[in-house]
Amino acid sequence: MSRLEIYSPEGLRVDGRRWNELRRFECSINTHANASDGSSYLEQGNNKIITLVNGPQEPKLRSHTNATKAVLTVSVNITRFSKTERSKSSHRNERRVLEMQTALVRTFEKNILMHLYPRTQIDIQIHVLQQDGGLMGSLINGITLALIDAGIAIYDYISGVSIGLYDTTPLLDLNTVEENAMSSVTLGVMGRSEKLSLLLVEDKLALDRMESVLAIGIAGAHRIRDLMDKELRKHGEKRLANVSSNQ
Amino acid sequence: MVLRRKRLSEGLTVTQKVFVRSRNGGATKIVREHYLRNDIPCLSRACKKCIHIVVPDAKNELPNFVLSESPQKLTDGRKHYVVLDANIVLQAIDLLENPECFFDVIVPQIALDEIRNVSYPIYTRLRALCRDSNDSKRVVVFHNEFNENTYVERQPDETINDRNDRAIRRTCSWYADHLKEDEINILLVTNDRGNLERAIEEGLEAKSLADYIDLLPQSDHIKDALPNMDTFASRDKDVEARSEFKFPDYYSTARVMGGIKSGVLYQGSVQISEYNFLEGLVSLPNFSKPVLILGQKNLNRAFNGDQVVVELLPQSEWKAPSTVALDSEHFDVNDNPDADEGQNDREDEISDKQRRLLVQDAIQTQKSGRIQPTARVVSITRRSWRQYVGQLATNSVDLQNGGTQNAFVILMDKCLPKIRIRTRRARELLNKRIVIAVDSWPDAYKYPLGHFVRELGEVESVEAETEALLLEHNVEYQPFSKRVLECLPGEGSNWKAPENISDPDAITKDPLLAKRRDLRDKLICSIDPPGCVDIDDALHAKQLPNGNWEVGVHIADVTHFVKANTPLDAEGASRSTSVYLVDKRIDMLPMLLGTNLCSLKPYVDRYAFSVLWELDDNANIVSVDFTKSVIRSREAFSYEQAQMQIDDQSRTDELTQGMRALLQLSIKLKQQRLDAGALNLASPEVKVHMDSETSDPGEVEVKKLLATNSLVEEFMLLANQSVARKIYDAFPQTAMLRRHAAPPATNFENLNEMLQLRKGMSISTESSKALAASLDRCVDPSDPYFNTLVRIISTRCMMAAQYFYSGAYSYADYRHYGLAVGIYTHFTSPIRRYCDVVAHRQLAGAIGYEPLDLTHRDKNKMEFLCRNMNKKHRNAQFAGRASIEYYVGQVMRNNESVETGYVIRVFHNGIVVLVPKFGVEGLIRLENLTDDEQAAEFKAEEFKLSFKPKGSESPKDIFVFDKVNVQVKSVLDPVTSKRKTQLLLR
Repeated sequence: MSRLEIYSPEGLRVDGRRWNELRRFECSINTHANASDGSSYLEQGNNKIITLVNGPQEPKLRSHTNATKAVLTVSVNITRFSKTERSKSSHRNERRVLEMQTALVRTFEKNILMHLYPRTQIDIQIHVLQQDGGLMGSLINGITLALIDAGIAIYDYISGVSIGLYDTTPLLDLNTVEENAMSSVTLGVMGRSEKLSLLLVEDKLALDRMESVLAIGIAGAHRIRDLMDKELRKHGEKRLANVSSNQ
Repeated sequence: MVLRRKRLSEGLTVTQKVFVRSRNGGATKIVREHYLRNDIPCLSRACKKCIHIVVPDAKNELPNFVLSESPQKLTDGRKHYVVLDANIVLQAIDLLENPECFFDVIVPQIALDEIRNVSYPIYTRLRALCRDSNDSKRVVVFHNEFNENTYVERQPDETINDRNDRAIRRTCSWYADHLKEDEINILLVTNDRGNLERAIEEGLEAKSLADYIDLLPQSDHIKDALPNMDTFASRDKDVEARSEFKFPDYYSTARVMGGIKSGVLYQGSVQISEYNFLEGLVSLPNFSKPVLILGQKNLNRAFNGDQVVVELLPQSEWKAPSTVALDSEHFDVNDNPDADEGQNDREDEISDKQRRLLVQDAIQTQKSGRIQPTARVVSITRRSWRQYVGQLATNSVDLQNGGTQNAFVILMDKCLPKIRIRTRRARELLNKRIVIAVDSWPDAYKYPLGHFVRELGEVESVEAETEALLLEHNVEYQPFSKRVLECLPGEGSNWKAPENISDPDAITKDPLLAKRRDLRDKLICSIDPPGCVDIDDALHAKQLPNGNWEVGVHIADVTHFVKANTPLDAEGASRSTSVYLVDKRIDMLPMLLGTNLCSLKPYVDRYAFSVLWELDDNANIVSVDFTKSVIRSREAFSYEQAQMQIDDQSRTDELTQGMRALLQLSIKLKQQRLDAGALNLASPEVKVHMDSETSDPGEVEVKKLLATNSLVEEFMLLANQSVARKIYDAFPQTAMLRRHAAPPATNFENLNEMLQLRKGMSISTESSKALAASLDRCVDPSDPYFNTLVRIISTRCMMAAQYFYSGAYSYADYRHYGLAVGIYTHFTSPIRRYCDVVAHRQLAGAIGYEPLDLTHRDKNKMEFLCRNMNKKHRNAQFAGRASIEYYVGQVMRNNESVETGYVIRVFHNGIVVLVPKFGVEGLIRLENLTDDEQAAEFKAEEFKLSFKPKGSESPKDIFVFDKVNVQVKSVLDPVTSKRKTQLLLR
């Protein structure tokens, strides 16, 4: 029996949020200007993630070249110290991580205007410094921010969030404790639309509950989009002010 | 580390909760986010501020303000709310549930969390109290940890307990401040002295539980129910003066953990012998046989069923299991409940290294002889304490004393010790059955401390005895709640199956109707015991053109009415089974379903779940089909009526022909099963006939079987197997099944030894077939009952069949040993068993009728269901037997007689005799057998007791299996006021 009330009859979750509340969401871009063409640092709850984008650049291997569009690679580095207990493996070639990478490539291939960058390669490197549930959603947000920082053409923001279903109540943006206690879904939502570029379901979930889960997930993703947008505009204004003061 | 707080938005702040958790010896630092908010209401109706801050939940409902604006007044006339700490709830949950006290209670979240960690059952009781007591008791949980006004951070050098106590005090002061204008006082109730003093220092009102009860206007009624703790009042007394008797201290947690890891200590659950309450057995994983624990000191306050940690004793103290029968109620009868005495002997310490060597010896010894390794309890991991039923020991009550006094309560379960309670109503409670709860067992006390909960009624009155045995066996017998009854169909008893199942109107109302098959043209009948009202099953048979037989078993379609995840379903799952007592039935499902809508009554249309086979002449299955259906039973027979109709050669109508065919096929099925090694076991079960007018028990009859009994049984077995196979195919991981493990050969050792010695026979346990054959050979030509006797004793050596989900065992272990089939489930009685309900849902999923609910596809939830089913099933059986025992006692009370009995065990100081006619067994003590107890001689290896019978000089030998004449009478034990069968040798 779990030692915690996952969702109390009074409507509060383990960490004190209500069912439709996001965790603390803080982000910044251009954090590693010297190491990459675009970068972001993201804290979503206790998830802490650095994303670096390099490219469009010449492919390191000639065989990777595509004459009509760019090639996208994603590598996810989950550090050994990212969880409460230090892990023995580096997670580098773990099946779960490889699957995440593939899913991320598929998600962003459709969002980047790849045909604008033929014969080039775009590399995305992600370092997960700390994780606390809903990792996949946070990775998506980090990549979106870093791509924008790198100035790569994309159609729209993709914002990611996880949603769990506890009994019949959908819960937005799960942390680890909640993620372990219930089935969950991860969404990647295009901008302010209701288009999904990612729908990741790894557990069993009753089909008739899916609609309510998606509805709250999309609403949550829109709020994340607005938070990212706000940060980007703030950053943009700062850069603009720098440029004009230097003139 | 300084924790920062960050304001996210108006009313939402985030901070980090940091703590260290130790697991497997290592320490882990855990950091969790912790959100603080300002929209947590006080939930008082008097409050005018909180109504503006509340927000709706996921179902768009606003929280319910529960606490009354005019709460109960104390004796000094002030209105008050109560705030509790965790220990008060843990110790006095009964008092909290008492409808006469504790109104308007606030439970801080921090206390709730602790309660949940310490005892999940108490947590659920508290939560049920919050949910159901809206207008009467008014209990709320206040989330102080998430409220930005009441959250406190742990100070450096502060223990976590001190921090939590401070959080509770902070909650009190916040409430007091918040409700100042409404003149409602906040009273903190805590038994923790430090917390109490500090609260008073801080200007809060705080009381200990006893002081609080004193303040209530109705305190006199409830004082008896106060938990009996070794509170600081008695601790302050000179401990030295009282503690001549002292149980050994328990080991520290660290020592226990270390000991288990290094293999010096072992963990298991204690089973107290039913003949000797000072002897317990603990089954340990490394040992082939349970390890023995002898004596009060070694048992060290363990109750029957407790999880304990044990340590082996030195080899010199290993003993054979005791051959003395000892009841707790007759032991130390004259102990004074106010005193605690005894002697103190310390035993020699031996080192861990020696102890490890001991383990090897212990295992060796177990293999060889009769001497068994013994152990002593060094720690109790989990108590099995619950509420117990008992009665005051008459001689422990001082009749002159009208005030509060200590008294002993003797429990109905004879494996348990006496409980010491404090009560003012001792004189009133004499000769009543009462419910008590156990609170603690400090080491200086010889008996555990408890408190009175409520009284059930006069000893020997039917109501009190029935309720007592229901409580003792943990049977839920309260009427169904409103929430459950709301799940029943709105039409009530006017509900009807639609005339035409392809009627579009009916289909729009119930889209699944289109998948039902109309079997109303089949000649179906049901055969049940006389007077049966919950008819689960009906049958039909028809010859097919190709000469084979179409046989249908139709089971009441309970799942049409009991949908998953409704309160009705939850209630059914929790009850798990109907309980049959002699004069009463405790239903699993409400009456309307059990005896009407689901029951396959004759002459009306009913929904059913049908299993249809094509069987050839030798009863081999050609094909099988499952479908939901509509049926109309043509007749409801009793076993005897069915037998008569089949035997009546003049009846040649189709229905009778069908029944004859069923009988023929069932005989072949039974033969097939017996050939495969199915066991034919026996139990000494009897049936009590009630006088229909006075409802007094009339006579006792040994159950008899008719051919039609086994007709129904065989087809039910066949249906269960077919369904088991089908649901296992569809849900290989979570199919609801039933298994019966093969008994370990050691279980039969004792019986075999007795048989070998006394009759020169033996029982083979290699396989169920060998066992069945060897049981058939155990015949004493001079005594036809001997075979039944052996079967009764071997039944007791068997393992219990159990419910499980298919993922829990490998396929080979699915076997049902007793029935000799490879895979088995329960499908045929969904009205009275919950397993069948699950099997119905899974079968419906397997045939594509409706998707299977997730709860029955989740291993953890299935595990939980199975464990509950097994427990409730066992309890129901025990309750049924206890009820029969009680009524048999009532029958014998009126007629004393001399009957034939059989000796089934021989002890040092008595013999156990079974009387088949009444299905009772009892111990005849040596003092009742002979005048000269010293001259009696007991030979364990020969199972022989020799003594000089009363009034005779020639010695007499009694062996096990001896046939004896005994005088049977029922007596009321003067010490315990329990009615017992007393047997006396003639």
